[in-house]
Amino acid sequence: MFDTLKTVAATSLLALSSNAAFAETKVEFWHSFSGNSGEVLDGIVADFEAANPDINIDAQHIGNYNDIVTKLQAAIPARRAPDAVIMEVTRYGLFADRGVLTDLTDYLEADPLKDELFDFAREVGVYDGKNFIVPFNSSTPVLYVNTAIFADADMEDVPALTTFDEILSAAQQVQAKLGDQGISGIAAPGQFARWGLIMANESDLIDSVSGEILIDAPNTIEAYEWMASLVHEHGVASVDGVTKENNGRDAFLAGKVGMMMNSTGNYRRSKTALGDDLLVLPMPCNKTCAAPIGGAGIGILSTSAPEVKDAAYKFISYAAGAGSNAKWFAGTGYMPINKHTKDQPVAEEALKGEPGITVAIEQLSVARGRPRPPVVTWMRASEYDMWQAMALGQHDVAQTLKDFASQTRAEEARTN
Amino acid sequence: MHSRMTPYLLIAPLLAFIAVFTYIPILTSVDLSFREWDFLTAAKPWVGTENYRLVLSSTQFWNSVKVTAIFALVSVPLRLLLAIGIASYLVREALPQRLLRGALFLPSVTSTVAIAVVFSWLFATDYGVINAALAVFGLPKIYWLQDPQLALWVIIFVNTWKQLGYDIVIYIAGLQAIPTDLYDAANVDGGKRFHVFRRVTVPLVMPTTYFLLVISMIEAFQVFTVVDVMTRGGPAGATDMVVNMLYRVGFTLFDIGQGSAIAVLLFILLIALAVFKARVLGRRVHYEA
Amino acid sequence: MKRETLWSCAALVAGLIFLSPVLYTIWMSFLTVDSYYSGDPVLTLANYRAAFGQYDFLRYLLNSLLVSGVVTLGGLALAVMAAFAFARFDFPGGNFLFAAVVATLMIPGHITLIPNYLTLANLGLLDTYAGLILPAISNGFAAFFLRQYIRGIPRALDEAAYMDGARPLQVLWRVIVPIARPAILSMGLYIFITEWNNYIWPLVAINDSDLYTLQIGLAKLYRENPGEDVINWPLVMAASTITILPILLGFLAVERHLVRGITMGAVK
Repeated sequence: MFDTLKTVAATSLLALSSNAAFAETKVEFWHSFSGNSGEVLDGIVADFEAANPDINIDAQHIGNYNDIVTKLQAAIPARRAPDAVIMEVTRYGLFADRGVLTDLTDYLEADPLKDELFDFAREVGVYDGKNFIVPFNSSTPVLYVNTAIFADADMEDVPALTTFDEILSAAQQVQAKLGDQGISGIAAPGQFARWGLIMANESDLIDSVSGEILIDAPNTIEAYEWMASLVHEHGVASVDGVTKENNGRDAFLAGKVGMMMNSTGNYRRSKTALGDDLLVLPMPCNKTCAAPIGGAGIGILSTSAPEVKDAAYKFISYAAGAGSNAKWFAGTGYMPINKHTKDQPVAEEALKGEPGITVAIEQLSVARGRPRPPVVTWMRASEYDMWQAMALGQHDVAQTLKDFASQTRAEEARTN
Repeated sequence: MHSRMTPYLLIAPLLAFIAVFTYIPILTSVDLSFREWDFLTAAKPWVGTENYRLVLSSTQFWNSVKVTAIFALVSVPLRLLLAIGIASYLVREALPQRLLRGALFLPSVTSTVAIAVVFSWLFATDYGVINAALAVFGLPKIYWLQDPQLALWVIIFVNTWKQLGYDIVIYIAGLQAIPTDLYDAANVDGGKRFHVFRRVTVPLVMPTTYFLLVISMIEAFQVFTVVDVMTRGGPAGATDMVVNMLYRVGFTLFDIGQGSAIAVLLFILLIALAVFKARVLGRRVHYEA
Repeated sequence: MKRETLWSCAALVAGLIFLSPVLYTIWMSFLTVDSYYSGDPVLTLANYRAAFGQYDFLRYLLNSLLVSGVVTLGGLALAVMAAFAFARFDFPGGNFLFAAVVATLMIPGHITLIPNYLTLANLGLLDTYAGLILPAISNGFAAFFLRQYIRGIPRALDEAAYMDGARPLQVLWRVIVPIARPAILSMGLYIFITEWNNYIWPLVAINDSDLYTLQIGLAKLYRENPGEDVINWPLVMAASTITILPILLGFLAVERHLVRGITMGAVK
């Protein structure tokens, strides 16, 4: 019975692969970009296919980063994982660790792209000394300011916004002057910004070098206390953005919030919404200047056939190349990952008269990669509930973080 | 007339589907609940009762049990009380009654996802219509879905709004099945309206009440979609139902072992509830001959 | 008569107030995004064009109709046969098997989610219509409900048919089904609506957007990528309207049937 099955499987595999030799190679590719950036990505895919007529990239928008992790994990036992997948830079470690992703080190070593990538960008793809994803979109949180709201709140000249105190007092001024018009001082920080603020307070959630869990470190607790106080103590951030991250951003884009800390991936959209009223500043430097590098890279599934892997890598390399990256950067606001991107005409055009983007790029000098052991996937999925409980004043911050830290340590011991 | 096999052949297709998609999966879930698995590896090591120990010692699990119990114990009686009261007014087969009945019934057949989306927006803090209406009267905005003291009540409200019409329609049928001479007799006896309602209507629709109680309790303990769309169990776990936790542990955190353990525990709870209802409530009604 | 009209109007108003969230949804679905955010209403059909065009809701609509339709027909066929057997035959194990069917009512659907996922994965049926349909076919509630109903039909009718030489399936088809029509119809509507609104299973079982049902399409639209677009509420509301409307229109058409049917089995 089993032998028969094996024979059937082997024959059909043979048939498949011999077919593939004649027909085009199809690469199923899962990604997280819709709307405007989805269109830019589709353009890059189309360009690639035009240049490589024997390869067909079946690009599918799956959802956000969380959705991709979820769908991918669910797809493994069903054996219907794609060939290539976008993975957020802190959440692919689990998949690399479990052997789901292909080790791309040899591919990258043989690829001139290796030297074109910025160090920070190449570094995000390394887990356990090996390259598992090639960067595609890179971002860092920045501080977006609606200068029209600031002006209405008697801050024609935007004050210094580098420490937590300065940000709080500006938010309080907006809230005091304009609160009764339904305008709030600041958007509750999303998870990416929260991580940035923890770094700016000279701490981290997990140490990127030693892997030590720092969720209950004093500076982390202090940062969370400050973030939570924006919502429940000072009332300068609407709780709407606590329960659903996007609400804070939507309110900022709708001109109802004075400030927002969010990914550079939101730049193009914010610019469209606010026009010249938009000011982009670096993230605060409370105890130190530091910001996380976010974004995602593309990995290849270890279950794919060798020629599919080759084709997928070709695409990945193309997508990170200067030409594609320039289109991507110009069309979205995600940062350049390729040293030659800025020399491309589209990129030069986009950089002109866009000081906002320059701010983000300059911030890269203090930006750091974040750790990516398997437990991070669990930690990030669980952090939302902890944040809600703290921001809504349901639980004491220090106690919540102590509990969360010990849960994370237990989970780490169990899964790593 | 017919062979002894006939009934078996008639039920075979249904039983085959139930076996494949319900009973065998339950056994699989029980098996998985004793293992550690994240879908990613071929091995599923046996860990004994570890998953149950972790679930039963977690505050999140007991919180979700509490939240689900509050939801069920508030929303089910609320729905039934409202439904029987409204039904007794809408029992006549005349145009106004039928119009209102139709309107009340409509939400129960519409999409839960759509309703949840619509109410998320209505109850939104900053651009929700309800807070906008409050602002017109100079009232401060209320954090409907963000306030842990309020969110569960909003969920109960939405669920009641959606499901009430179904209960009403069932009750109306129950009321219409009551022979009118019973009412006439009660009225001849000089019964006041409420008296008649309490002494005649309520006891006579008891089978209907039992039917609805069973259906809506089971449904209440499995509520998921409204919560998933509106609050995802938040804020701070205030609306975290057992199934929402199950889904989160199983399909967001991919702890298949713990997720299966929660599923098994919920299963046991529902069976216990059903047995309790059959024992305690079943005795008080006469549903069928 | 005049009093009646007055009451009708009052009832209509009360009904409209009750349904105002749905009505407001429909209204909002015709607003431009800008006018929604600015508060000055400007009407447009663009949201529907986007929903049916760019966001593929026409396809989702057809998928929902197909899946719900097949589940309803298949579910009814299985339930009617089983209900007939349980109502009319005394056979060894019958009570036990009936209990096994009724017990499925108590079983939270989510306990079967992971195992069913694995089963269909092994059968290679994920991302197919069959994968959406098969797990939803068996309906213990319909079997239970129809069995109660059929028990209320006088046995003398079956006996007469058997006397005339009918076989069990003929009795079922010619005697029971016609009499139980209202109950079957109401169960059919119940199954259809349940399946129409089902969202967790298609969410797990379907990856290929060509096979999305309306619920999945809507949920996905509502939960746009956090790194992406602003929530376009009018578009979301147009999609919600598309999700609600077929049921709403169907409801208006069969309301009396539906209500009459539902009630007949629930109350004996």
